[in-house]
Amino acid sequence: MRKSTEFQTAAVLADIRPGGAAVVTALHRIDPLLRRRLNDLGVAEGSRLTVRRFGPFGGPLTFECAGQLVGIRRFEASRLEVART
Amino acid sequence: MSDYALLGNPNTGKTSLFNMLTRSYETVGNWSGVTVEKRIGTLRGKAGRIVDLPGLYSLLPLTEDEGVAARFLMEEADGPILNIVDASQLERNLYLTMQLLEYGKPVMIGLNMVDVARARGIDVDAQALRRELGVPVVPIVARKGTGCSEVLRGLGELGRAPASFRLDYGPALEAAAADIAGMVGAAAAAGATSKADPRWTALQLLEGNPAVRSALPQTADLAAIDERIRRAAPELERETGGADSAAHIRQVRRQRIAEICGAVVDRSAQHDHTATERIDSIVTHRLLGIPLFLALMYLIFKLTFDWLGSVLSDVLDGFISGPLSQWISYALTSLGAAPFTQALVVDGIVGGVGGVLVFLPQIFILFLLISFIEDSGYMSRITLLMDRTMEAVGLSGKAFIPFIIGFGCNVPAIMAARTMEQRKDRLLTTLLVPLMSCSARLPVYALFAGVFFVSNRASVVMGLYVLGMVLALALAKLFSRTLLKSEPSVFVVELPPYRMPQLLSLLRMTWEKVKGFLRKAGTIILAGSVVIWFLSNTGPGGFGVDMNDSFLAYIGGALSTLLIPLGFGTWQAGAALITGFMAKEIVVSTMNIIYQAPDMAGLEHQVALAFTPLQAFSFVVFILLYIPCLATVGVIRKETSSWRWTFFSMGYSLALAYLVSLLLYQGGHLLGFV
Ligand SMILES: Nc1nc2c(ncn2[C@@H]2O[C@H](COP(=O)(O)OP(=O)(O)O)[C@@H](O)[C@H]2O)c(=O)[nH]1
Repeated sequence: MRKSTEFQTAAVLADIRPGGAAVVTALHRIDPLLRRRLNDLGVAEGSRLTVRRFGPFGGPLTFECAGQLVGIRRFEASRLEVART
Repeated sequence: MSDYALLGNPNTGKTSLFNMLTRSYETVGNWSGVTVEKRIGTLRGKAGRIVDLPGLYSLLPLTEDEGVAARFLMEEADGPILNIVDASQLERNLYLTMQLLEYGKPVMIGLNMVDVARARGIDVDAQALRRELGVPVVPIVARKGTGCSEVLRGLGELGRAPASFRLDYGPALEAAAADIAGMVGAAAAAGATSKADPRWTALQLLEGNPAVRSALPQTADLAAIDERIRRAAPELERETGGADSAAHIRQVRRQRIAEICGAVVDRSAQHDHTATERIDSIVTHRLLGIPLFLALMYLIFKLTFDWLGSVLSDVLDGFISGPLSQWISYALTSLGAAPFTQALVVDGIVGGVGGVLVFLPQIFILFLLISFIEDSGYMSRITLLMDRTMEAVGLSGKAFIPFIIGFGCNVPAIMAARTMEQRKDRLLTTLLVPLMSCSARLPVYALFAGVFFVSNRASVVMGLYVLGMVLALALAKLFSRTLLKSEPSVFVVELPPYRMPQLLSLLRMTWEKVKGFLRKAGTIILAGSVVIWFLSNTGPGGFGVDMNDSFLAYIGGALSTLLIPLGFGTWQAGAALITGFMAKEIVVSTMNIIYQAPDMAGLEHQVALAFTPLQAFSFVVFILLYIPCLATVGVIRKETSSWRWTFFSMGYSLALAYLVSLLLYQGGHLLGFV
C-alpha cells in the first residue's frame, strides 16, 4: 500500500515549486559525471532537498541540501526523480 | 621535520589555514577550487613543511585538480595528514575524512568554520568527534587565526602512529580487500616504492579509482588484481543483493558518517542562512540578476578608469616624469656618467619601465575589485547567471570564472580552468581565455582612450572588454561545433554562503597579483626597454643614427606593409606589436621610447599626431586580440600538453585580430569616420 502513495507523489526536481521540499528517489537517469559530483555534495537517494529558485530564461535551478546550496541545469533537474513531501 | 599534507573539501578555508600556519601568503578565494596546484610552505616555528593540495570531495578524482591529490597520496606523501573540515557542513566533509583515516598515516582534524556553525545554531562537539574518529580534533576559525597555534602544537605531538579508524565493509569486500592488499604489498616488497597503505590501496581499487590504479608500482600484477576485483562483484551480490562494489563502499561510509553526525552534531537550534538567502533573492533574481551583474562590471570599469584609477595614475606620472627623472639625471650627472649612460637610463629605462609603472594604480584597483568578487562568494552566482548563455555556445557556466579572472591576468585564469569537470570545457576555456582583456592590455587602452576618447573613456574601454567576451563566446560556439564535438556540457555549482571579505586578506590577495606586475616591470619590461632603446638608436650606420634608420625601424617596417589595410602601417606600430608579444605592456614602453616622450602628456601628444581616432581604435582592437603573451603561451602549452593546440591558440588569435581590425577600419572608412 505504501507503494501507491509513493507513486502519487512521484515527481522530478524540476516540477517542484520554489520553496517546496522533496526527497530524492533516484539519480540513475542523470549524467554519470554530474551524479558523482552530486554524490560528493551529499545529494544521494534519500536526501531531502528544498528548491530555492529558478534562474532567468530557463537558467539553472538552485536547491538546498543539508544547509548547502547547489545549482544544476533544469534539464538535469528534470531527470532527478524525487517524491514530494 | 616532517612534511604534512593539508587536505579538505573545496571552500572549507584550506588556503586561509595554510596562510595562518605558514607566514607565506597565498591566494584566498570563496569559490570551489582556488588552490589549483600543490603549494609548499614552511610551518611557523620551522616544525616542518606543509603541502597544500587542491580541494577535493573524495579521493575518486573527477577533475584534473582532484587527480593531483590522489596521485600525491600514492606517490609522494610520507608524513601525517592535516584534514580540514567545515563544521557547518560536517556530513559532506567527513566523506573525505573516512578515506584519509583509512590511508594509514597519522591524521589530525582541523574543525574549521566553528564561528559559521555557531551562528547558524549548529553545535559540533569536538571531543565527541575525537572519540568517534580516534584522532585529535582541533576547533579553529582559520580566517581569524583562532586555534592555529593549537594546530601547530598538535601537529608536533602527532607522533607516527597511524589512525586506528577502521570500517567493516562486510565479508565479501573485506576478503577481496585483503587479497588485493596482499598483491599490492608483495609488489611493494619486491622493491617498488609505494607510499600508500595496502588496504587503503585495495579499497580505492575496489572503488574504481583510476588515479590510484595508474600510480600502482610497475611490479604489481594488474591482471590478477583486476580479476580479483571482478570476482568480488558476485560475492557481494550473494551477500547484499547488489553487485556494485563502489556503491556498497560508499554506502557503508555514509552510514557510518550518519551515525557519527548523530552523536556529535546538535542541529536542534539550526536556522537558515538568512543573510545569504536575502542577498541571493536580489542578485540571482530572474529579472534583476543579469542587469545587476552588468552594472557591477560597469562600476568596476568606472572605478578603475575614471573615478579613482586615472586620478591616481596622473599623480604617479607626475612623480615619475617630474621629480624622479630629475633626481636620476642629477645623480647621474654628478656621478659623471657619460651621455650614453644618461640617455640609456633616462630615455630607455625610466621612459620604458616608468611609462608602464604609472598604470600601477589602475591595475591595483582592478585586481582589488576582482579579489573582492572572488572572496565574497558572488563568483559562483555569476556562473549561475551566465550558464544559460554559456550553454548556448557549448560551455559550462563555470567557464565564466576563468574568464573573469582573465580580466586580471590570463595565466592564473587558464590554471583556474582545471576545476571544470569536462575535458572539452577545460580545453575550450584555455583556448579562449586570451581573448579576455587582461590588465597588461590596460595601459594601452588607458593611453589611447586618454588621447582619443576622453569624454567616454570608461565606455570605450568597457566596449573593448565586451568585444573580447563576445568574440570568445562566438568562437566557443564555432569551436564546439567543429573542432571539439562531443557530449553536451554539464553544469553543477556549489554556492557558498556570502562572506564579507576581510580587508587584510583582500589586500594580501591583491598584493600577490600586483607583485607579479612589479616583478614583470623589473625583469621582462626592463630588459625589453633596454633592447628596444638599443635597437632604436643603432642601425646599419652604427650607434646614434636617426631613429628612422635604426634597426627597430627596419624590423617594424618589414611588418608595416601588412598592416596598411588595418590603418596603422607605420614602422612604429609594427615594432610595438612585435615587442608586445613578450608582455603587452611593452607596447607602451616601446611607444614611450620611440616617441621619446618626457611624460604622459608628451606621449599623448605624439600619439595624437601619429594616429587618427579610427586608426587608433583599429590598433587598440588589434592589441586586444592579436596574440597571447609569452607567459600565457607557456601556460597554454603546459595545460594542454600539446604544441598543436598552443600554436592553434596563437594562430587563430592572429587571424581573428587581423580580420576584426580590417573590418573595423575599412568599414569605418566607408561610413565616413577618420
Ligand atoms: N567565517 C569564517 N570564514 C572562513 C573561515 N575560514 C575561511 N573562511 C572564509 O572562507 C572562504 C574560503 O576560504 P579559502 O581559504 O579560500 O578556502 P579553500 O577554498 O578551502 O582554500 C574565504 O572567504 C575565507 O575568508 C572561518 O573559520 N570562518
